[in-house]
Amino acid sequence: MSGLSGSGTGSAPLRIVILGGGTAGWMCAAAFRRQLPAPDYDITLVESEEIGTVGVGEATLPSIKVFNDMLGIDEADFMRRTRATFKLGIEFRGWDRDGERYVHPFGAFGEPWGGVEFQHHWLRARLAGRACAPLQEYSLSVAAALSNVFEPPARDPKSIRSTYSYAYHFDAGLYAAYLRSWAVERGVRRVEGLVSEIRRHPERGDVMELTLRSGARVSGDFFVDCSGFRAVLLGRTLGVPWQDWTHWLPCDRALAVACRRADPLVPYTRLTARSAGWVWRIPLQHRTGNGYVFSSRFIDDDQAASSLLGGLEAAPIGEPRLLRFAAGRRERAWSGNCVAVGLASGFLEPLESTSIYLIQAAVTDLIHLMPDRRAGGIDPRLAAEFNRLNDWQYERIRDFLVLHYTANRRFGEPLWDAVRAMALPESLHQKLEMFRSRGALPHYEYGLFSRDSWLAVLAGQGVMPEGYDRSADGLPLDAIEQRLAEFHARIRGAVAGMALHGEYVDRHCAASEAGSLAGAVV
Amino acid sequence: MLGRDVDLWLTAAALARALGGCGVRVEAVELASRLQPGDIAATLPPLEALHAKLGLGEAEVILETAGAFSLGQSFAPGSNRPPPFFHAWGSYGRPIEDIEFFHLWQRARRQGLAVPLQGFCLTAVAAQNGRMLVPDQTTYAFGRTDYGYHLHTAPYAALLKSLARAQGVRVHEAEHVDVERGGAEASIAALMLEGGRRLQADLFVDASGVDALLLGGAMAVPLHSWRRHLAPRSVLFARAPVFTSIPPFAEIRIGPDGWTALHPTRAATGIVHASDVGTSGTADIAAAATAAAGAELTDITLRRVEPGIRDAAWQGNCVGVGEAAAVFDPIHDVGLHALQLGLVHLLTLFPAGNDFTAERREYNRIMRSRCERIRDFQCALYALAPFAGPFWRRNRELQMPDTLRHKVDTFRARGHIAAMEDETFFADSWQVLFTGLGILPESLPPAVGRIPPRRLREEIDASLGRIHRKVLEQPRHDEYLARFCGGSPV
Repeated sequence: MSGLSGSGTGSAPLRIVILGGGTAGWMCAAAFRRQLPAPDYDITLVESEEIGTVGVGEATLPSIKVFNDMLGIDEADFMRRTRATFKLGIEFRGWDRDGERYVHPFGAFGEPWGGVEFQHHWLRARLAGRACAPLQEYSLSVAAALSNVFEPPARDPKSIRSTYSYAYHFDAGLYAAYLRSWAVERGVRRVEGLVSEIRRHPERGDVMELTLRSGARVSGDFFVDCSGFRAVLLGRTLGVPWQDWTHWLPCDRALAVACRRADPLVPYTRLTARSAGWVWRIPLQHRTGNGYVFSSRFIDDDQAASSLLGGLEAAPIGEPRLLRFAAGRRERAWSGNCVAVGLASGFLEPLESTSIYLIQAAVTDLIHLMPDRRAGGIDPRLAAEFNRLNDWQYERIRDFLVLHYTANRRFGEPLWDAVRAMALPESLHQKLEMFRSRGALPHYEYGLFSRDSWLAVLAGQGVMPEGYDRSADGLPLDAIEQRLAEFHARIRGAVAGMALHGEYVDRHCAASEAGSLAGAVV
Repeated sequence: MLGRDVDLWLTAAALARALGGCGVRVEAVELASRLQPGDIAATLPPLEALHAKLGLGEAEVILETAGAFSLGQSFAPGSNRPPPFFHAWGSYGRPIEDIEFFHLWQRARRQGLAVPLQGFCLTAVAAQNGRMLVPDQTTYAFGRTDYGYHLHTAPYAALLKSLARAQGVRVHEAEHVDVERGGAEASIAALMLEGGRRLQADLFVDASGVDALLLGGAMAVPLHSWRRHLAPRSVLFARAPVFTSIPPFAEIRIGPDGWTALHPTRAATGIVHASDVGTSGTADIAAAATAAAGAELTDITLRRVEPGIRDAAWQGNCVGVGEAAAVFDPIHDVGLHALQLGLVHLLTLFPAGNDFTAERREYNRIMRSRCERIRDFQCALYALAPFAGPFWRRNRELQMPDTLRHKVDTFRARGHIAAMEDETFFADSWQVLFTGLGILPESLPPAVGRIPPRRLREEIDASLGRIHRKVLEQPRHDEYLARFCGGSPV
């Protein structure tokens, strides 16, 4: 077990140093400050205004509400300050075939009948030639999203309006600033500057101190690497190897540009497939975020820029920014007395809005497994558990993302032909086989993704099961047909009563001009 | 399906009930029973849900099988070293501000709290006070509360058999069965019974227990021994007289040469006595069991148990369930539960067409995962128990599987249970087991320090008070059984 640097007594606080701001750094800082007793933990964050953070208008998952609630953050206040809108799901355009689209919602498809999952009843009805609508039409949140309406879900579990949840689109830079205010107000020390030198323990190799260009020194017992792609600590300093996943996820560039807001304000992220990748559209209150995620193997930067700018619905704001990355992860997120959170620990393209989720998962686990000075400090057993959980999260998300690519019928486009033909991770291959064979969905108790999410994407990407769970045969087909029709009607009825998303945002959490100025000051 | 006794009849009843209405014909080949009159089974909480699906009422089960309820397992080491602990079918404490109670209890304990962990478990306290705990809206506030049964296996098997027959299962009795191979993947084409009877089928279920006549025999799927982790056992089964007041839990008495479990029912007390193979002769084992049980034993039988798992539970068109697929140690009474798992997953993955390659692969994957998690829970007791005696010393030397070692390491470091998929036992159970065996975490989650000591003391006192009052509201076990069974004598 490593000791701790410095000669502190057992009662001295453990010094946590977070290297890097942005969403990763400030989510760590705020959560640590909230959860860890102040006398036992000192929290310092080192960031530089000179280093741009990646945030290009970000979409999130419903778990972000749990994070904000933990900090005691008021939703309307947070949405105002970050120019947020609501997100009911993601619309995928052209991912299976051009001209087609599907929504991956945060919500259920249908409901179980006779103890059998909905998709089996739907498959049976379809195979029997009975009247039934496309699967998408049996989701309340899909219907709401495409009608541009939004209301918070109902609490009553018997109501159809309780069968979905929601997340947000927000300006990640403003969210980081919001969390920064929160954290600094509560005792997190912020140090501005660029790291010029890193001092390590001569024998153990632990990181002990950061020296900044200004000459200032920051010592610590435990370091959190939130330095993004540069991975200053885990990568450059400790040399933890990188596990490359580009053979499964070949996109390695993104061009991002904002454009003027175009109404109506939609409550979902739109991802449109293009010849060499995909374009995102993230609606915020004050502007729309756009970006082309592409593979440099199949298109060059200039062509990508033309494609992106040519497809904008409104005038661009500023020049497109180019980002380079590679899909993959660090073999160990926690090594020695350093742990990487966010992009320093790995990168998966923002296809399913998982970047902030991964930060949140890491932060949650880290708080639970945080070194305790009185127990001797850094414990490799806890690092091993953190890494195990981290591996789990990354691999599950990776499989889910690869599914979007591999199950496509965009024949004749080199990128899409390549990903259709590639060898898949065995874990994903098995899931595909199970769905193809009988419409069976993966079920996990921990982490992402839910059964309904898998159903949305498998079905949306055109994977059609050959059979279904025959226990669905227990109910008469006439009854099933009728229930399908009733459910369909219930959805239409529920959506009809919901307010327009834009109006809801205006009433609930619209950022004022004065508010926007205040939010920009730290 | 081919087999005998509970394995065969639970399989037949479950499959017939679920599939009969979907055009699947279910036939059972019954081999000679091996049930002993003294056989008493202990069941885990999920069995109740399966009974409900079968349309088997709880009152009927309890009545027919001279059954009693079980709220958990009491572990009683000899000389009270370490102190006895109770593994309940229920949760221990409620979280405070999203902090798990277990960690708060650890902190309170460090600060002098003398109340053991089970003091905060409504289910455990009820059990130890001879009360039944019937889960309802008011008990829900105390967390998860659940129960299993102790029941006589012979009438239970008979009950399941008549249920299966009522579901339309055709029954063929046989002394001996031959297997006709054929078709794709060297599958099973038919079973040949005496008198020229030939039974053809698309799918065969092996419910023949350790014999594994189809999966191990005909399909020759090897049994991978777990002896590196779980030693072979000599297990004695017997009956002892009925308790005057029937405890609503199992008691496991720890001795130097093994352990002795008592499963009280309304007609008798089931005795399971486990020791290492080759250490004593039958007479000595019987004597040890008698001494441990503290009562005269009848209907004594001895069995050798070799824990292990088939390389695949489903090969070709043959699915093994229960002990045909995996053999467990007798501790924690998991046998019937493992059978239930095999059936539940088979139903979830029941072939929808002629090609079931994907289903078979998934079934094997998930059953292996399920079985290994159970194996780990069993192995934990033997690997970590500090009990005195040559049996415990030998078993401590066995190797822990990597997954278990990781769980133990993480618990030792932080009192944290490493989450894994496909578990049978909840995190509470793991924490209770480790704590009961004397393992203390070296540190606690730092967030624990957020709760001021005074607030924690108040919550603890309030909690104990609530549990105490709730327990007094519960019926005595004997009284509940009498009500439940309409006051009829056994």
